[in-house]
Amino acid sequence: MAMALEGIRVVDFTWVVAGPVATRMLADNGAEVIKVERKSPGFMGPRKIGLQPDLNRNKLSVAINMAEPRGVELARRLVKISDLVIDNFSARVMRGWGMDYENLRKIKPDIICMSMSGLGHTGPRRDYVSYGPTLQALTGFVRLMTDPNGAPAGYGYSFSDLAGGLAGGLVALAALWHRRRTGQGQFIDLSQMEALTGFIGPGLLDIAVNGREQSPVDWRSQERPMAPYGVYRCAPEGDDDDRWIVISVATQAEWDRFVGAIGRPSWTTDAKFRTLYLRIRNREELDRNVEAWTRNLPSEEAMTILQRAGVPAGAVRNGADLCTRDPQLRFRDFWGRVPRPDGPDTYVSGIPYRLSATPGSIRSNCPEVGEHNDYVLGELLGLSAAEREELFESKVVWR
Amino acid sequence: MTLASESAAQSGALAGLRVLDLTDYRAHLCGRLLADFGADVIKVEPPGGDYGRRIGPFVDDRPHRDRSLFFWFYNSNKRSLTLDLESARGREILLDLARGADVIIENFGPGRADAMGLGWAQLQEVNPALVMLSISPFGADGPYRDYVADDAVLTAVGGMLYVNGYPDRPPVRPLGLQAYHVASYYGAIAVVCALFARDRDGIGQWIDLSMQAATTGALEHVVGLFFQNGQPERRHGTLHWARFFRAGKCRDGYVLNCTIGDWTSLIEWVKGDGAAQDLTGPEWHEYDYRAKHAEHLFDVLDAWVADKRRDEVVERAQLLRQPFAAVRFPGELFEDEQLRARGYFVEVEHPELGRSFRYPGAPALMHGTPWRINRRPPLLGEHTDEILRGELGMNAEELAVLVGEGVI
Repeated sequence: MAMALEGIRVVDFTWVVAGPVATRMLADNGAEVIKVERKSPGFMGPRKIGLQPDLNRNKLSVAINMAEPRGVELARRLVKISDLVIDNFSARVMRGWGMDYENLRKIKPDIICMSMSGLGHTGPRRDYVSYGPTLQALTGFVRLMTDPNGAPAGYGYSFSDLAGGLAGGLVALAALWHRRRTGQGQFIDLSQMEALTGFIGPGLLDIAVNGREQSPVDWRSQERPMAPYGVYRCAPEGDDDDRWIVISVATQAEWDRFVGAIGRPSWTTDAKFRTLYLRIRNREELDRNVEAWTRNLPSEEAMTILQRAGVPAGAVRNGADLCTRDPQLRFRDFWGRVPRPDGPDTYVSGIPYRLSATPGSIRSNCPEVGEHNDYVLGELLGLSAAEREELFESKVVWR
Repeated sequence: MTLASESAAQSGALAGLRVLDLTDYRAHLCGRLLADFGADVIKVEPPGGDYGRRIGPFVDDRPHRDRSLFFWFYNSNKRSLTLDLESARGREILLDLARGADVIIENFGPGRADAMGLGWAQLQEVNPALVMLSISPFGADGPYRDYVADDAVLTAVGGMLYVNGYPDRPPVRPLGLQAYHVASYYGAIAVVCALFARDRDGIGQWIDLSMQAATTGALEHVVGLFFQNGQPERRHGTLHWARFFRAGKCRDGYVLNCTIGDWTSLIEWVKGDGAAQDLTGPEWHEYDYRAKHAEHLFDVLDAWVADKRRDEVVERAQLLRQPFAAVRFPGELFEDEQLRARGYFVEVEHPELGRSFRYPGAPALMHGTPWRINRRPPLLGEHTDEILRGELGMNAEELAVLVGEGVI
């Protein structure tokens, strides 16, 4: 059976991370995603290994010079046979090319255009220059994820780009669904800051309703009350003393199982740890006792002991743990294997869900810029080899 | 529902779809995402109420099952039906509802739905076109199938936790329940994909989603750079892994300094303040050089901003097209002129309290199919009558029996 989104074609002007994450969601499920790229798209690293394969596997690339009117004309012809156009530019770029929704709907009345800018296409700050970290600063992630000494420590990576990308992927799918039912396209103005703001919803309601500013995240629970609850240091492995485990004990039954699993040391019978309320009140002493147990065990072994007893616990995985050792991700074939022209195959993050009848797949590596010029210009747009050669000679197309 | 509000509800992109949401507080965002696009999402709660109703904060700090802001955020736009799925009659009613539903979402844990008689095999029998999404901590098979996890454990085993915080200190957990959130987003995406397949092939299907894998699937750099370098990425405080951003302390707070913009205009500004120290050489014009010497570079910028005001730095930087930002508390979002101009926050009436509250709004402005909060989060069992009468055609007597038996 065909993949779920086969037959949907996406013209993808996005770059950096958030936009490519959104179109990855579609490509993984069989949509034909065609990246329209500049000759040298900038600082994103090699194409066939590393971050780019993770973001852009399963996509095609055509290298069109959008500074040339004939380049724009090619892009417009591509839009005519496509379903969705995505960019992550500020408003004036697509408009400058005549590639904004108002123009494109004239040539493809049911087209869906989605722009994934930093702060949106309208409003006084629409031209704000932003990347993921900028948006994380503006929304509270940098400030409220703090070191124990109170200094900001927030997000070591652009979670914002993943949040924006997931939101973009879902919004695009919803719009495609609407179009399938009604035949109507539309313009979607996605502000990545707004998408990210939704990821701290309950805290915002606390501010709006109770007027209370949010305090820094520590190991107080953001869900049900728990203790022990925290990240505990484990035994060093080789010269790596950066090994940790998270333990989350909520119910009395979990506490009883936890006590049994760690061998019933005498401190666990102390009256001050008898109930959840008391454990929370005496958590500093509790945590020291818990860490005395974890400190002598490799994180993986501590996790296994606790999980076999039914206690929520997780080794803090680093990249090597995840990519080479995690038995669960490996069992579920999470890693997608993609070929490289000049070296051994490499791997990418896979698809976290399985559709029983129409599963997605990892089919190809990130394309080189213009790798699919012949397919896109020849097969899709019907240009002859001679015509394509002339476009190349005239610098309308790069290869 | 009045006719006017009916037609308003119909305007969403997913209007016309019916979703049975059996999830608890670990996966309830998924149904909310679909409801926000206009799907009719029925939250099926045990008669005592979803556990999420017990999680704070609460309105005016007064704990009550209808005052949990945690529950409110994740369950807006849904209808609430109480139903005891532990009872045979409750399960029968659920199967009846499944006949008329498009999607069912559950996170009972691997194998549990089957054991309850509500697994994919059973549901498929009553409705072959149904899409069923099962969200579990580690997925429905594999060595960790029966392992248990909350959000914090998932951020650990998914790789999100390790790269946050300072290198010589414990990892710092994310703000918000981000493992739950990304799993819900992936789940909603998978559901819409399955609906496309159903539209074409005429059959429903079962989706098996691992929250651990969803968390790993929401890392930016960790996986790609490991496969490129063979070395795990470490944590560096607020220094972003690409080494062009770091927070610095200024007179009245923190500012996110950035070195990815035009170097000439930035260094001229710093020089003008007499604070450029040794950053004046031509080598600093190279991206790679700036990234390589990021610690020193940001130390100099930190000293430069130390006696400035946060907003003064950011205003000037943005005029120079430098992606600096104010390091804000979330409360400042309510004063943000950009969010205000775009109408981001939406006022939602709570007639039961005689008040209205400002809720966070849409992830995107969809010009053809507006995103709305049509319904405030439901009171416990608020729509039980309407659903059982309207959808299943029950009469008052049958409902009375169900109440008497504790099924609803």
